Amino acid sequence: MTVLIADREPPNILRKLLQVPWLVVLLVAALAGVGLAMQYSAAGGAWDPWASRQAVRFGAGLGLMLVVAMIDIRLWFRWAYLCYGAALVMLVAVEVGLGGRIGMGAQRWLDLGFIQLQPSELMKFTLVLVLARYWHGRTMEDMGRIIWLMVPLLLVAMPTALVMKQPDLGMALMLTGGAIGLAWIAGVRWWKFALAFAAIAAAVPTAWEYYLRDYQRQRVLTFLDPTRDPLGAGYHIIQSKIALGSGGVFGKGFLQGTQHALNFLPEKQTDFIFTMLAEEFGLVGGMGLLGVYLTLFLYGYLIAFRSQTQFGRLVAIGVVWTIFLAVFVNIAMVMGLIPAKGAALPMVSYGGSSMLVTMFGAGLLMSVWIHRDNRFGPRGEL
Amino acid sequence: MTAPEAPAQAAMPQPDLATASPPARADGTGWNLVQRILRRQDRGRTPVEVGRLRLALVFGAFTVVFVAIAGQLVNVSLLGGGVEARQLVARKPAPPERGEILDRNGQLLAATLPTTSVYADPRKVLDAEDTARRLHQVFPDVPLATLVERLASERTFVYVRRNISPQQMQRVNSLGLPGVYFQEETRRLYPQGPVVSQVLGFSDVDNQGLGGVERQFNDRLRTGETIQLSLDLRVQHMLRQELITAMTRFSAIGAAGVVLDARTAEVLAMVSLPDFDPNDPGRAPDDARFNRATLGVYEMGSTFKIFNTAMGLEAGVTSMSGGYDASAPIRIGRFEINDDHAKNRWMSTPEIFKYSSNIGSAKMALDVGAAGQRQFLERLRLLQPSRLEVPEVGRPQFPKAWRPINVMTIAFGHGISVSPMMLAAATAPVVNGGFWREPTLLRRELEEVPAGEPIMSPRTSADMRRLMRLVVVEGTGRNANVDGYVTGGKTGTAEKIGAGGYQKNKRISSFVGAFPLHDPKYVVFVMLDEPKGIRETFGFATAGWVAAPTFARVVSRIGPLLGVPPVDETTPEIRQIMAVTETPRPGGQRVSQR
Repeated sequence: MTVLIADREPPNILRKLLQVPWLVVLLVAALAGVGLAMQYSAAGGAWDPWASRQAVRFGAGLGLMLVVAMIDIRLWFRWAYLCYGAALVMLVAVEVGLGGRIGMGAQRWLDLGFIQLQPSELMKFTLVLVLARYWHGRTMEDMGRIIWLMVPLLLVAMPTALVMKQPDLGMALMLTGGAIGLAWIAGVRWWKFALAFAAIAAAVPTAWEYYLRDYQRQRVLTFLDPTRDPLGAGYHIIQSKIALGSGGVFGKGFLQGTQHALNFLPEKQTDFIFTMLAEEFGLVGGMGLLGVYLTLFLYGYLIAFRSQTQFGRLVAIGVVWTIFLAVFVNIAMVMGLIPAKGAALPMVSYGGSSMLVTMFGAGLLMSVWIHRDNRFGPRGEL
Repeated sequence: MTAPEAPAQAAMPQPDLATASPPARADGTGWNLVQRILRRQDRGRTPVEVGRLRLALVFGAFTVVFVAIAGQLVNVSLLGGGVEARQLVARKPAPPERGEILDRNGQLLAATLPTTSVYADPRKVLDAEDTARRLHQVFPDVPLATLVERLASERTFVYVRRNISPQQMQRVNSLGLPGVYFQEETRRLYPQGPVVSQVLGFSDVDNQGLGGVERQFNDRLRTGETIQLSLDLRVQHMLRQELITAMTRFSAIGAAGVVLDARTAEVLAMVSLPDFDPNDPGRAPDDARFNRATLGVYEMGSTFKIFNTAMGLEAGVTSMSGGYDASAPIRIGRFEINDDHAKNRWMSTPEIFKYSSNIGSAKMALDVGAAGQRQFLERLRLLQPSRLEVPEVGRPQFPKAWRPINVMTIAFGHGISVSPMMLAAATAPVVNGGFWREPTLLRRELEEVPAGEPIMSPRTSADMRRLMRLVVVEGTGRNANVDGYVTGGKTGTAEKIGAGGYQKNKRISSFVGAFPLHDPKYVVFVMLDEPKGIRETFGFATAGWVAAPTFARVVSRIGPLLGVPPVDETTPEIRQIMAVTETPRPGGQRVSQR
């Protein structure tokens, strides 16, 4: 690969601001707006306790997103390992209980004083950064050697193991899924994926038979089929489906939802916010939100296509992929398509970590666009 | 570097991308990309190029997933995908209600009724303390601390209180507490309260039998089967009432009674006092749940002479006209066997039985010998636990090494402990012509009655009926006489064993008898645990004063009820059947009439 040096002056802040893909900002803001409206409704038509706080976070997130976008993609390349290391340290801190707070039955939050951060959320995007940097430096020949797969495997395994221990199986699957997607885009050979899948498929029955205890199996079975336990885990999904079904084409109208108003829906302002939306705005509202997400993803793809560097392309596609996975898991969950638990809908669900981190990711995406023509070598050299 | 344009358009995944993309820049990256995608045969592809190809593939997968999600959204919100979910909420197929328990006449002894329980989802309870305090006002029987602990727990389901009344339900409803819900349940109801408690046992809130018939037939009851018992609720009532009266009168600590059909071995009544209310078994003290009739084993004393005498007659070591010298106590080592009603002379077999002579009985048993005695008691099932259909059956206690001293004490009911049920069951063959049948708590139709195992000759049985009648007519059991019902039986007073040997003032006073003895139909056993003498009994608490009259009252009440026709005992027919030819022969020679 020839090293090309950018032949123009680095653009100043003003020029960069003009280059900001404002459509992305608009889409992100639209998502946040939908979220605020639904949080307002979830509180029974009140800004407290959710919408007001989330609005403040969105304001802060907007600033963060633009700052991240302004930062040269080469700097992000340089800081990739640093970011990853920081996120990993925070994950460990949560694990060993340094400021770890038990929330929602699992230990996931790090109290930083001004914000309760969920390091696993942050890890999703820093993992994208670090993997993108790693794959950026690999040639096709490197890809062919197993040894070069070891580093990314390790980079994924460490946070995944920590997240599993919390325990947050859904997040662990998302981290792994994101990493697999990146490896795929980066060009790891087909047969290696096939081999990995075959190995996992072979290991599952053995683990099921010999390593899981009966109560663990019961948990997994309920996880896979919530109707086994209609009073426990399955309760949420069943109520959610009822709410979705009661919305119809145009919904019951803003603030008119009954399932959430009567508290049938648990976690309505976070995990089940899509259900609320579909109940109050019906099929049209749900499809509309999906449309906004789809547009954002398409734009992200465009940015990936347009990037001149492997790093930029991988970061862009990684961000899109990560957000897409979260959206998919959340919506498929509330519709009972897949079994899952505790997955937030990016930008829409109430919660600071998810929103700020998603906006950080959107900032990265924008940075890739703004600096799409900045080229650099395998080690980041200009 | 050049490629046909039409395939290039097709390879572009969708037109939206083109419209959404900004104007292509001067270097034409967009078109370069498309061309490179199509140049995939190129061996020298860079990772960037491979990545672009795969990007397109991933994009295709994205689209498919989005379409699937949208499809499901349509399915759930329009096509009724959620209705199915609604049906899933409907509870699982309810298990069959626990079966009823009836008495032999179809009277309800145990039934299952629907009730309501209150539970809470602690995660949805806003203020555990406050909620607990309010609920405590409705359910003062649930300690406040317990409620707070449950409501503040991490679980998703805790009971507040099970089986509440409609009034309580109304009050909880009006409290309007978030996170507190009702659940429809069933509860076991025992309409007869404590009357049949020891037989029925009880079952817990989870539909599991925890004692008595409820436990014994738990599996059958759980499938909804109705169990009809051999008990006659009316007989049960009367027996219990009379035992309570006697227990109160003689300040006894407990009592037990059994009414057994002598021919079918069906248990018509079985009472153990004190008893408990199976509707609220938690409150019952342990003693009240202890079934003295089946689980308790006691040294029965002289009632055992029924078996001893039958054994002697059956073995031929004595006869109705035979007898033994009872003029002096028997001394074996440090033991001395005396008579309570000592005559200090030779006594005939009827006299030995009538006056309850320990000396005569012991000598009779010695003549039969240890092996014969053991075998006879085994045939009467007195050396093995009862097979009655309750889990609470006591194991009889008897000496391992069967020495002569044991032979002699067992002859008058010491050194061997059996349960009242075992004693009653063993009495049936003695009066019914010699047929052993396993006693049962289940109703037997006539054709279901087993033929019975002959364990003694009809003649021995006939002799024994005469002897038992004799006890009531002129022996220790005169208080057991009931005019018209030709009662008969044997008294038994045994001192209870405590620390340091037999206790003079702690007795088991019992009476086992049958009626009408000219055609025996029912065996009745009554027992009082530690009765105290009263003025009317001149301070006596022995069986003749305590148990025999109780037996009489029981018979006088259940006799008419069971359709036993009263007879005139003075008619020649009855007198002849019941006549005992006493021919005392000084010298103590055994005379066999066979």
